[in-house]
Amino acid sequence: MMNIRRIRVLAFKEWREILRDRLFFVLSFVVPSVLMLVFGYGIILDVEKLPFAVLDQDRSEMSRDYLHQFMSSRYFDYQGDVHSEQALSPLIADSKIRLAIIIPENFQKNLIAGRPSPVQTLIDGTFPFRAQTAKGYVIAINAAKNAELMAKWIAQKQGVTLEQARALVSPVRLELRYLYNQELNSRWSVAAALVMFILMVSPPFLTALGVVREKENGSIYNIYTSTVSRGEFLIGKLLPYIGISIINVFILWLMATALFGAPFKGDPLFFILASVVYVVCTTGIGLFVSLVVHTQVAAMIMTAIITVVPSVLYSGLLVPVSSLEAAAQIEAHLFPAMYYTNIVLGSFIKGVGFEVLWVDLFMLVIYASGLWLLSFFLFRKTPKA
Amino acid sequence: MSVQLPKKILLWLRRLRVLTAKELLQLFRDVALMFVIVYAFTMDIYIAGSGVSLQLNKAGIAVIDNDHSIASRELIYQFRPPYFRLNGEVLDSSTAMRLLDEGQVMASLDIPPKFQQHLMEGRQTAVQLQIDTSNAVLGTLAASYAGQIVGKYGLDAALDRAGLTAESLQVLPRIEDRHRVWYNPNQNDAWFFTIAELMTVITVLSIVLPAAATVREKERGTIEQLIVSPLSPIQILLPKVLSMIFVILLGTAVSIFLILGLVFDVPFKGSLPLFFAVTLLYVFSTAGIGLVAATMSRNLAQVGMLTIMILAPVILLSGVWTPPEAMPPGLRQAMYFSPLYYYIEMGYGILLKGAGLDILWDSLLGLTSLGGFIFTFGVWRFNGVLDESH
Repeated sequence: MMNIRRIRVLAFKEWREILRDRLFFVLSFVVPSVLMLVFGYGIILDVEKLPFAVLDQDRSEMSRDYLHQFMSSRYFDYQGDVHSEQALSPLIADSKIRLAIIIPENFQKNLIAGRPSPVQTLIDGTFPFRAQTAKGYVIAINAAKNAELMAKWIAQKQGVTLEQARALVSPVRLELRYLYNQELNSRWSVAAALVMFILMVSPPFLTALGVVREKENGSIYNIYTSTVSRGEFLIGKLLPYIGISIINVFILWLMATALFGAPFKGDPLFFILASVVYVVCTTGIGLFVSLVVHTQVAAMIMTAIITVVPSVLYSGLLVPVSSLEAAAQIEAHLFPAMYYTNIVLGSFIKGVGFEVLWVDLFMLVIYASGLWLLSFFLFRKTPKA
Repeated sequence: MSVQLPKKILLWLRRLRVLTAKELLQLFRDVALMFVIVYAFTMDIYIAGSGVSLQLNKAGIAVIDNDHSIASRELIYQFRPPYFRLNGEVLDSSTAMRLLDEGQVMASLDIPPKFQQHLMEGRQTAVQLQIDTSNAVLGTLAASYAGQIVGKYGLDAALDRAGLTAESLQVLPRIEDRHRVWYNPNQNDAWFFTIAELMTVITVLSIVLPAAATVREKERGTIEQLIVSPLSPIQILLPKVLSMIFVILLGTAVSIFLILGLVFDVPFKGSLPLFFAVTLLYVFSTAGIGLVAATMSRNLAQVGMLTIMILAPVILLSGVWTPPEAMPPGLRQAMYFSPLYYYIEMGYGILLKGAGLDILWDSLLGLTSLGGFIFTFGVWRFNGVLDESH
């Protein structure tokens, strides 16, 4: 059935062709590394240094003290004072500030008299995730301030020490233990996730271009008329691309650990095995695309569209799959990125191996075989026309 | 002379029209490509906008309740949607650890024995929360929300013990937190994602399509025919760009009215004609990038790779994923070289914030000068390529 020699010859021919196109060859290694560099340094998901402006209508010691909580925080970046509410809205509309704090008159007077006083915060909601996080910071600062105010007031009223009063207002402490990533280093998470993302996007891209190129140039007719079987052609054709992608696995792994300092706590052998399966799988996506389109432009745009969005949004890269809505969860399970995200995060950051991740590996194997079988049946040696 | 000049212009325009029609025809004949373009402007944006939220949403929590009291149950009950979701009780920490390892839950809450008793006696007590921080951002959010929940619970318990009710808060010195989120009061992620995805699609297509149309002529050798024809380089290029602009603007209109407006109820606060005008300018600018890429490569595969190399920084430096204030110093200045940065600023400004030119003029100026430069550079490079082939 399958002739190993024919496959080897085909693979060698493809390899020579790739080598001859110097720019293509160089870019097939450079593009993944550049993506890793650019995104690894440039995606900063920590919400910090939010630029804000202040409208302080009270101008008292307590209002200044309150604002100091924001000014001294690394989450906020003070941009200056304004003198009217009207001045704030163009600043937010122009993205000069993301947050504005308005302290009304009588702020200090009310608090000293034992009455509540409002503080208004305006948040730019253009980036909902950042707005939500900023809101969390504001709530936390206010809660801390309130606990302090309350403790002082109780200490005064009930004649206990400030220390006792503090224990009274917050009887339950929350002890936090961060697992796997104790320093909450988001660069680690991003670097590990990028390995998944880049290996999702680049192998299909290479493959689709490689196969459709033959179709568009017409050189595929040589294959049609030859004695090479479908299976031999597909395997021989794609082996070099899988090889390039496996080398890229190592390059990306090295960059994630050496450059971005991500730990690798898991089992290297398991990770390599899973990565090879994953690369075979994503190469299969490229193969599938190249069989349904006829031009390289269409192949490029189609691979970009069917790989980028699901691997960013439905992979667990940004949001855990369990937090997605039902329909989105189904989509996530239909796509291989999610399984490999589990493997990457597990191997790099969590330090778990086969015993936990075997289900994910199994799903990848099924996915890869399915895609290759589908392509095998889609590929016809006798074209319609 | 006065008769000849208009004739010349007429001829120029006729050539432009004929060639643009030829480019459009070529585009429409590629059925798979047309399908992909339609998909990009509809389904792709729909998928990006539906069901995905960057916020902490129903994070699974396992509970080890060593107290089994009313107080402990009350606290556990506070960990509920939208932020958390109880995954049930486990007996010991090793089971909880296994669930965390497998990613079944994101956190486990450990309540000590005598929790209720200590609360009643007014002694400080502590509950422990273990959080999976392999996704650092979500881990931070979970910690922050858990802090809010426990803090509020503790305060309520303290007030309760002191015999104070919620109404009595009116007579306590406290800051009333009145925050308002502008432009997207409910932090609807779909509004953000659909606009971001639309702009990304526009960017990809406006770089790839003209680049591919140009390199295809090179690869197939049809460029020789164009060189020997009485056409100037700009007459060869402009139809390619114009036909793509036509298709992209059409797609944008479909996407804006059908997907963003109808499906996701994005409130178009500003002027839509202004948005389309800005889009037109933007597509022109990025088409220039495509032309530059086309002059640098010999075949489509190379163009494809080069495009990714260009696209990644353009998208990254646009501020969609990392706004300017969060960028490290060097990258922050580099953003001024990404045309998408200006387009994002104006796009969100017009569509969500309702801003007009009085506020966005500086971005418009930036895009115009950057786009003008890129497009001129692209045409200049193309001229050079044509001269070489001569």
